[in-house]
Amino acid sequence: MSIFTYNGGAIIAMSGKNCIGIASDTRLGIQFQTVACDFQKVFKMSSKLFLGLAGLATDVQTLEKLLQFRMNLYELREERPMSPKAFAELLSNVLYEKRFGSYFVEPIVAGLNDDGSPFLVNMDCIGAPCLAKDYVVAGTATANMHGMCETLWKEGMESEELFETLSQALLASVDRDAISGWGAVVHIVTKDGVMTRELKARQD
Amino acid sequence: MARRYDSSTTTFSPEGRLHQVEYAIEAINNAGTCVGILAKDGIVMACEKRVTSGLLAPAKTSEKTYKLCQHATCTVAGLTADANILIDQARLRAARYQYQYQEPIPMEQLVEHVCNYKQAYTQYGGLRPFGVAFLFAGYDVTHGFQLYQSDPSGNYSGWKATVIGANNQAGKSLLKSEYKDEEAEGEADEGGIPGIAAALKLAVKVLNKTMDGTGASTDKMELFVMTLDDTKQCVHKILTDDEVKKIIKEVEDEAASAGD
Repeated sequence: MSIFTYNGGAIIAMSGKNCIGIASDTRLGIQFQTVACDFQKVFKMSSKLFLGLAGLATDVQTLEKLLQFRMNLYELREERPMSPKAFAELLSNVLYEKRFGSYFVEPIVAGLNDDGSPFLVNMDCIGAPCLAKDYVVAGTATANMHGMCETLWKEGMESEELFETLSQALLASVDRDAISGWGAVVHIVTKDGVMTRELKARQD
Repeated sequence: MARRYDSSTTTFSPEGRLHQVEYAIEAINNAGTCVGILAKDGIVMACEKRVTSGLLAPAKTSEKTYKLCQHATCTVAGLTADANILIDQARLRAARYQYQYQEPIPMEQLVEHVCNYKQAYTQYGGLRPFGVAFLFAGYDVTHGFQLYQSDPSGNYSGWKATVIGANNQAGKSLLKSEYKDEEAEGEADEGGIPGIAAALKLAVKVLNKTMDGTGASTDKMELFVMTLDDTKQCVHKILTDDEVKKIIKEVEDEAASAGD
């Protein structure tokens, strides 16, 4: 089993009309043994910026704390909120600093720019970014998720439709992956705020 | 006689004084005044803004008040350039503590860290001390709201109300007589600690005294309030010009009617 599949997990982020959605499963496993079904993998960095981290659980938690630290200092010194783009660049640099001893994570940055337009990036474990206008995926069920998203995603979805699409894509993908699932959470971010919902998923 | 012993930080004078440190403290007595008052449900800090030129285009929100972390803010009296170094140190320390323990840094530890940093410049290296004094306002769950003062020597102390900068002795004597007895609008506690509104007025009164009649106005004063919101998170607020104007007016009216 590779170190990226040791704990399992699946994350998708999608863009809609002036909104984004980011969803993940909530399983924490040790290889095939499920240990928790309430493990957080998507973190709210600010009201308009979310970070999803798939991969080795210890690195997921460490990176989140590290980036929160860096973001806090940025906002204190600059006296303004950090833009999604700046955050993604920072994350990329933090990861590349460990080029020869990397964090075993696959991050996703999802947020809204100042003008309300969606921002989606996913990266590899050493910080290579991949900007997308439609959707990004990460984790152990990426083949499944790509298939679902490519089929279900369409342009200009409003927040309710985005929620449905995102949820269906995630649920169907993790159901065909032994080490993802055991619960799911979805966040939809619009200029008016964040709507978080837990999905009723198969507990197997 | 002090001449021989005052040019090096790392030398005591025969009277057992560190002259460089004392000279640094003198530098602050020429700087814009800062008042800090511990209120019943928060902290108030008021600063005298010294605008050296109308052509200045400030880059930051304030040259006197700086947020250090979610639960602490400081005001500065002295050399701004020196202050910037120390403020960054404080911010780093608070952020590192938060990163390590996933808990906010206790106020005294934050103040002590900054002060230890300052102290090093009074003992090692042959470098001059920092020409800055701070008022630290913060909250932690163990001790609630706290107000600390620190000076170039690296000494710090906790206060219920204090003044630093120009004419601080005049300010302090005013606080001594007025802080205990404040019972404005029924907001007093058993110990006579004022509420935020009363503390704000008292702070303006002190600034009026230390600025000795150069006239209170919104472009010369900056008022800061720290309170807790319903979720027990600190709220840092620098008052708007209108809010400051209102308080200045209230103080003026009270002073006018007190004379009757």
